[in-house]
Amino acid sequence: MFAGFFYMLREKGIPVTPTSFLRLQKALTLGLIGSVDDFYTAARAILVKSERYFDTYDQVFAHHFKGATLEDITDVELTDIAKALLEEWLKSPKELAEALGLDEKELAQYTPEELIRYFLDRLKEQKEAHHGGSRWIGTGGTSPVGHSGHHPGGMRVGGASRSKSAVKVAMERRYRDYSQEGPLTELQMGEALKRLRQMIPHGPRDVVNVEKTITETMRNGGEISIAFDRRLNDRLKVILLIDNGGWSMDPYIEIVQTLFNYARSQFKDLKIYYFHNTVYSRVWLDPQRHLRPEAVEEFIRRDPDTRIIIVGDAAMAPNELMWASGSLYVGETENLSSEERLKFLARTFRHAVWLNPQSEASWHYTWTIATIGKIFPMFELTLDGLDKAVQRLMIRH
Amino acid sequence: MNPVGETCRFQGASQYVLDDELAKIVNVSIALEMPLLLKGEPGTGKTMLAHAIADSLAMPLIVLNVKSSMKLLDALYQYDTLTRLNDSRFGDSRREVSNIEEYIRMGKIGQAFVSDCRTVLLIDEIDKADTDFQDDMLDVLDQMQFDIMEIDKTITARNRPVIIITSNAKKDLSDPFLGRCNFHHIAFPDPEMMRLILNVHFPDLSGDLAKACLNAFYRLREFRGIEKKPATRELINWVRALRADPDFDLKAVEKGELPYLGVLFKKSVDMNLALQQAGKARK
Repeated sequence: MFAGFFYMLREKGIPVTPTSFLRLQKALTLGLIGSVDDFYTAARAILVKSERYFDTYDQVFAHHFKGATLEDITDVELTDIAKALLEEWLKSPKELAEALGLDEKELAQYTPEELIRYFLDRLKEQKEAHHGGSRWIGTGGTSPVGHSGHHPGGMRVGGASRSKSAVKVAMERRYRDYSQEGPLTELQMGEALKRLRQMIPHGPRDVVNVEKTITETMRNGGEISIAFDRRLNDRLKVILLIDNGGWSMDPYIEIVQTLFNYARSQFKDLKIYYFHNTVYSRVWLDPQRHLRPEAVEEFIRRDPDTRIIIVGDAAMAPNELMWASGSLYVGETENLSSEERLKFLARTFRHAVWLNPQSEASWHYTWTIATIGKIFPMFELTLDGLDKAVQRLMIRH
Repeated sequence: MNPVGETCRFQGASQYVLDDELAKIVNVSIALEMPLLLKGEPGTGKTMLAHAIADSLAMPLIVLNVKSSMKLLDALYQYDTLTRLNDSRFGDSRREVSNIEEYIRMGKIGQAFVSDCRTVLLIDEIDKADTDFQDDMLDVLDQMQFDIMEIDKTITARNRPVIIITSNAKKDLSDPFLGRCNFHHIAFPDPEMMRLILNVHFPDLSGDLAKACLNAFYRLREFRGIEKKPATRELINWVRALRADPDFDLKAVEKGELPYLGVLFKKSVDMNLALQQAGKARK
């Protein structure tokens, strides 16, 4: 029974296994399921193993059991999307202007609220589906406003997350927040970072080692000899370098702050420095990058086993990275290009990674990301990326 | 037809407000003899559920609090070598030193297996342990038996316990693990549900106070940048604090004043943020 439903779940990307499907059959034969409501709950508990798929499950369920059809995007949902888009818009006013068919100057006159309204109006005007092209809102175009566009970090409008109406519960889409593309939470970050700790025995010998005690006692001819060990302590040194300059990092401030908070509670020996876009001769201990500079050359005096984590979007003008005088700051004379500085850091510290809050899919659009990616192993600032970065940092060379 | 039997059907307990959906899932899991994996934000009552099930089915509850350093063996049994060593050395106990079985102590899973009656086994915060622990443990729970190597004896469960597993982090558990569990995610209760929960804890709570508190509470949860959002436990404590205060003024809360914020926010950073934003909201 319900094989069609099962395959549809699979098709929509929920990893349902045949074993669990058989288990559902067992539940059915046991007479545990007496109504569609029961089936909805039981099938979800048995088949779907992560809340990230609950939303998809709801949709498939609604579609399968009530023959629900695709519904037009509602105003409510649109406003949400539009708000999420705003951030993106502000990052690239030019493309936005193009997408909305406006002049950049005209655009500047709109307040955010007006922009949203303008966007919504435009969307309603548009009667037919629009796929491809670069001006309108639709799927697969190059416009930043729309779904699967190639704009870096482009948001989705409709597409996979379109709502369907049918069975009331499923319709409510209570689990939308948990769907897969959710942001990295501090909880997950803590989990990932925890693995970075390096436990080394340290301090007074005050822990009984049972195994050793037994061995020692036997060696001693049965005369009890208790062996003590030192406690395990974390001695790992970590330097966190954060790009906190300029508008390009603004959308990621929250996530970087979370990382920062967690890093602070996880590591005993942690230094945090700030830089703008890329590293020149100095980095700063204060987030304003003004009062407490420290020369990058001084880093050579540090323990080479220190783990370096650099957080930044690595997106900048190529000359900022390559020219010795490419620094953003007027009046700052540099004798080495930023690229040389980064290479210096990579040479000095064997364990260094670069975390990029931009999604990996968009990296090859920016030349400097690729270049920096050759100097430091670069990972996405997502749970997956963080996991890989931590693995990388823990390798013993 | 009711194969589960009235005696074995979970309907909620006096201290726990159960939604229908979860009750169904619990009952299906009991009937299918599958462990039930519960995920959800801290404070959504994952652990409380196990207590409630034990209460309602009148089964003893055995809690295994998972720790990061825990090995599976610790959860099954321990061979108390130190006591045996001590006994063999000083010989002042009544235990038979040559009989190793006297030095085997059951861990929490072991206890659930050898118990004379059916138990509820709560495995709390499974995500703290490493993947090997999780997979191995599920093997044991699947087969309902384990070997004690030292005395070459197999312990088989006399009664299959009702197994509830909780997980806090959103970090994924391994696929084989998930394959053997039923899964439910407890969403944060909506205001209506929360009202019921408050009623269970404070049967004499006045409607006005409950409404004012809930309004304030859900508003506080919306504040930006809060690292640890207040959850059910904090709300209950807050209501308790407000009721204990003889000078408490209900109108003030309705107006947006928030006494005893420290009960709701446990981190000083959060507390400051909340104070700032609460101040703004009042203007």
